[in-house]
Amino acid sequence: MKEDNTNESQKNTGISRRGFLKGAGLTTAGTVMLQSGLLGKDKETIAAGEEVGIEGVVIRLKVNGKMHSALVEPRDTLAYTLREKLGLTGTKVVCDRGSCSACTVWVDNIPVNSCSTLALEVGDSEVTTVEGLAKDGKLHPVQEAFIEHDASMCGFCTPGMVMSAAHLLETNKNPSLADVKNATRGNLCRCGTYPHVFKATLEAAKKMS
Amino acid sequence: MEEKKLKLPYGIPGHNLTEIERVVPADEPPAWPINDKLKVVGKSVRRTDALAKVTGAAKYTADIQLSGMLIGKFLRAPHPNATIRSIDTSAAERHPGVYGVHVITHHKHDGDESGPGEFPEIKYAGQPVAGVAAVDMPTAIEAVKLIKVIYDTKPFVVDLEEAQKPESPLVYDAPVDQQETDGGGGSESGLGLNGNVRGPSRGGGPRGDLEKGFAGADIILENTYRTQVHTHSSLETHGCVVDWKPDNITIYASTQSTKGVRNEFANHFNLNKSQVRVICEFMGGGFGSKHSAGDFGLMAGHLSKKTGRPVKLMLDRQEEHISGGNRPNSIQYYKLGAKKNGELVAMYQRSHGTGGVSLGAGVGHIAEAMYTCPNFTTEQYDVLTHASPGAAWRAPGNVQGAFGLESLIDELAEKLGMDPLKLRDKIDPSEIRKVERKRGAEKFNWARRKKANSDTGTVKKGLGMAQGHWPRIVHIDSTAEVRAYRDGGVEVRSSVQDIGTGTKTIMAQVVAEELGLQAEDITVSIGDTAFPDGPSSGGSIATGSITPAARSAAYQLKLKLFDQVAKNLGADASDLVAENGQIVSKKDAAKKVPFKEALRKMRYEQISASGSRADDYEGFAYGTIAHGELGSVQFAEVSVDTETGFIQVDKIVAAHSCGRPLNPKQIESQINGGVIQGIAYALYEDRIMDKATGQQVNKNLHQYKLPMSFETPEIENIIVEEYPARSNTDAYGIGEPANISTAVAVANAVYNAIGVRIKELPITPAKVLAALNKA
Amino acid sequence: MNKFSWYDAKTVDEALRQADTTVSAALTRDPGVATIIKSGGTDVLDFIKEGLVVPARVVNIRNIKDLNGITYDPKKGLRIGANATLSEMEGHADIKANYLAIHQATAAAATPQLRNMATLGGNLAQRTRCWYFRSIDHKCLRKDGDRCFARHGENQYHSIMRNGSCVSVHSSSVATALMAFGARVEIVDKNGEKKEVEMDKFFIEPLQNIRNETILKESELITAVIVPPVKSKVKSIYVKGSTKSSHDWPIADVALVAEISGSKCKNPVVVLGAAAPVPLKSTEAAAALEGMELNEANAKAAAEAAMAQATPLEKNGYKVDLFKAIVKRAVLQIV
Repeated sequence: MKEDNTNESQKNTGISRRGFLKGAGLTTAGTVMLQSGLLGKDKETIAAGEEVGIEGVVIRLKVNGKMHSALVEPRDTLAYTLREKLGLTGTKVVCDRGSCSACTVWVDNIPVNSCSTLALEVGDSEVTTVEGLAKDGKLHPVQEAFIEHDASMCGFCTPGMVMSAAHLLETNKNPSLADVKNATRGNLCRCGTYPHVFKATLEAAKKMS
Repeated sequence: MEEKKLKLPYGIPGHNLTEIERVVPADEPPAWPINDKLKVVGKSVRRTDALAKVTGAAKYTADIQLSGMLIGKFLRAPHPNATIRSIDTSAAERHPGVYGVHVITHHKHDGDESGPGEFPEIKYAGQPVAGVAAVDMPTAIEAVKLIKVIYDTKPFVVDLEEAQKPESPLVYDAPVDQQETDGGGGSESGLGLNGNVRGPSRGGGPRGDLEKGFAGADIILENTYRTQVHTHSSLETHGCVVDWKPDNITIYASTQSTKGVRNEFANHFNLNKSQVRVICEFMGGGFGSKHSAGDFGLMAGHLSKKTGRPVKLMLDRQEEHISGGNRPNSIQYYKLGAKKNGELVAMYQRSHGTGGVSLGAGVGHIAEAMYTCPNFTTEQYDVLTHASPGAAWRAPGNVQGAFGLESLIDELAEKLGMDPLKLRDKIDPSEIRKVERKRGAEKFNWARRKKANSDTGTVKKGLGMAQGHWPRIVHIDSTAEVRAYRDGGVEVRSSVQDIGTGTKTIMAQVVAEELGLQAEDITVSIGDTAFPDGPSSGGSIATGSITPAARSAAYQLKLKLFDQVAKNLGADASDLVAENGQIVSKKDAAKKVPFKEALRKMRYEQISASGSRADDYEGFAYGTIAHGELGSVQFAEVSVDTETGFIQVDKIVAAHSCGRPLNPKQIESQINGGVIQGIAYALYEDRIMDKATGQQVNKNLHQYKLPMSFETPEIENIIVEEYPARSNTDAYGIGEPANISTAVAVANAVYNAIGVRIKELPITPAKVLAALNKA
Repeated sequence: MNKFSWYDAKTVDEALRQADTTVSAALTRDPGVATIIKSGGTDVLDFIKEGLVVPARVVNIRNIKDLNGITYDPKKGLRIGANATLSEMEGHADIKANYLAIHQATAAAATPQLRNMATLGGNLAQRTRCWYFRSIDHKCLRKDGDRCFARHGENQYHSIMRNGSCVSVHSSSVATALMAFGARVEIVDKNGEKKEVEMDKFFIEPLQNIRNETILKESELITAVIVPPVKSKVKSIYVKGSTKSSHDWPIADVALVAEISGSKCKNPVVVLGAAAPVPLKSTEAAAALEGMELNEANAKAAAEAAMAQATPLEKNGYKVDLFKAIVKRAVLQIV
């Protein structure tokens, strides 16, 4: 039985109609609009939105209080951008599907999976990564507690775990064990640091209050 | 070699601690007292690299970025059984941003690419076919899609039972052997192949006479147990960066054996080991799967060699599941004969398991070794299937075997009307486990255990226990170098790597203890083959192998330093001791100098000494396996919802021994980890293959179920100190013992809760409901 | 992911003019031509990463302010903007006070991170998690293939009801709870026409359309979900049965909404979650509860009734028992 690896759906069609039109000064969107004959109205609409072509654009990103600039394509996730373009490798990619939370960062102080966030979505929001938790050389109480209570083993889940735990303590000064488990329930650890993570987070809460 | 006599602590404090005299090599350091007399060793010193981990500063292989580095990506065969007819890489090679393409072919001599090779046969879906190196990952992914491969597909089999049928498609048409690499994984050679079934392997060989044994039994039990395939699912996937320069190659590897990767890489490419340097400063988990250079290491090597640029090749999560290794499954049949009083008289064990296209699906030595049983035979078979190759997985074989054995013994206890602990007291010769049972039972309050299926509510509680057995394997080729610098620094160096177990920290502790310093005073430089060869981190061998070497090195360095200091102090070198940051004369306390000052006054900028692992005092038990073993006992408390079948593990008490505990908190972390992995194995994990298409259907982390925060039970750890008086640290590893008995302790607890024994893992709601419906 | 261009829409109108393909339809379109919509992106990005959808262009609707917001009025009910995140829903006091089952369903869903990102609109539009459907290696019925791989394959997590052709299970536990409250989906088309569709008409079964799980067309966008006001006697509960509590899809879940007087139940609505390719109203279970005491016997009867039409597959028969347990629990725990 023969099988060809290059099935029809993956053929590269070379200069695409899109590419031609781009060269002609129009985008695909423009083409759609031309076809639907609503050109006049839609010129306003294009101006209202924000268009980025496949080759990407240079954006400014505020990360850990510092302004960065990077060339990003629309398909680049925030995790990819942080790691590969800004050299901030503290944030880890483990599943790349939003199911393990190793890539947790804060966007405007809200924990999200950076592997499932596109760089272009960040806009002027503030991104906080694990590298930005310590302030002026002083560790966040959660970081201190993780060290004190041996809450890291191989350490690969640690950045995400720390970001989840630290966020909990921003919003809940007196969490219960169940609260801590709930805050970290998206974080996968294969080495089994959970008991010490829970202990460390509860101790950090005590220290902070 | 010159020898001397040494009196060492011997036994278990609080139980049978005494002293023993051993004949040891003359250059061995003096005997350490038990831990309560030591300053740094035995204390829960903070992990040396914890700061780097919590701040994100730690650089793993996945994080390495070198100038000019390219990203490597595999093309993998989508078919479980196929022949490659042709491969056309031209479109990929032309793709902008692609700098190298390498097709996997087999040559007469590995690494010699003169003349065309042959395409390998494809034997599992996901098997690598070729690799590309491109400017970035998105480009590499695009390029891989442009490689045109024409396959002739063939019938395949992925199921353990289907593969044993006479009409099954065959994986190999001639008997196969599997070589051991530095990471182990070898299989008994020369065994016969019948269809897809290879074996039997007979373990240490049959004991006694089974027939006679069974004839003398008061009770005979026969049972079959099943366990599943599961993957390691380390958070950092397999991968490496290879920087191939004309005269030397540097490899950053996520590995459990820098030495192993170096040796395999050098062998494959016909290089001298001295030309290959492997570095692993931080790695994100391995659990047995990361001992070898891997197909990714060799591919990155080929690509780096071709392109003249560093190449990073890391697997993605899907690839990690389908080609990163797995623990083979098992179908285990047991026949057990015992006397009324519990004495075992005969045991027959027969197992079949599949590690995909590779060998190594045995069920370990636990049935053979843990209990006294004069008549014993094991026959262990590998069944080949068109699935990804298995790999060592934390206590290979023994975890599967423990499920069978300890379920069986638990059932025997009940049939004899004996408490499971009392039965162990009768049949288990291990002194350490006796103590563990006693201390564990007390902490767990085993006395509250009721008869099976006593609870009347919907949610029934159950208590169970199980034991584990793991040898103390020593790796003799373990060397450490300790250096002292005039600026006051002290450094310990070895190629041994820290895979998250805390090796860095315990080495700092051991050196610090020897030199009278604090752990923070010691710089630990490990995970680099530029340093003396250390052991791999597998088999729970690292601690027992490298710490005596590190201590020896520190001791020899101390003697060198004493020679220099003695003169200045006007004291005899043999009277000097290093303690509390000072070097002081035992005979005259006034003759002292701070350690750091002594370094400042050294004749040379730096002094160093190396130490290698000596043989165990008065010999090993066999090979380089030490007397005694890393026995463990675990107790589980579960709640079983009899309407839904869901199981919650409420509590685990784990009693372990690892000789002299060097760092209790790190040991607890290890035990917690093993326990949680054991729970994962008991209740959640399953690598599910679709029979019809030969593909894994859950190759991700949301449908491949792993326990997370809410699944974590309360875990109480008991560390039983034991001093076997066999090495200058008497410290051993704990990794594998930690997860051998958890799953079966949980299974036994489930039995105690619902009165029905579930003989197949994972214990899913479906299995619980089926068991209850039948009851 | 493949290269695609990006358009950040500021109005619904813009978005609908740009997009020409739903994510569902994009699964069977040629690669590199579709323009699809993305809200939170937690499901859409997965499809693109797996190579199941190869869009030319992604239109982001996450910044459309009109889609934000949750408003509550005791007389008008609840209006949840399509861009409300599951976290916002979870944290909303009025939802917790008046529509407890919705609160419970959102709190039990996914992970904190995903709930912070996932929007209600995206949650309703998300596709099934059937592992054959989600696999590039299996061209199943829903992707214009010629067979259902799960039917005789690994179907331990698949549907036990309405499993005629495709045996998938829908994946929105939030929809399960919303449906029990009689929620309606507000949809706008590219001409600006608005319509409201009852949730049990919004989701469609495979027999109606094998390619889609909802009635959404490429020229349409979910703009809000409207949940009718509840009478003071109304109580609700959402019970989730999953192997893991941390982060797992339900294997069996149920939402129950009813008027409770004393311990008697009136106008109950029972919706089964992970039982079928759509969230399924169990009229049988509701009938068994109507006017009845909420006691063990009646709870059991309702549970049996809920599963009376079950047609389990080779590996998922246990789900029948599991659903019975979950339905019984919902009835007994609603007060």
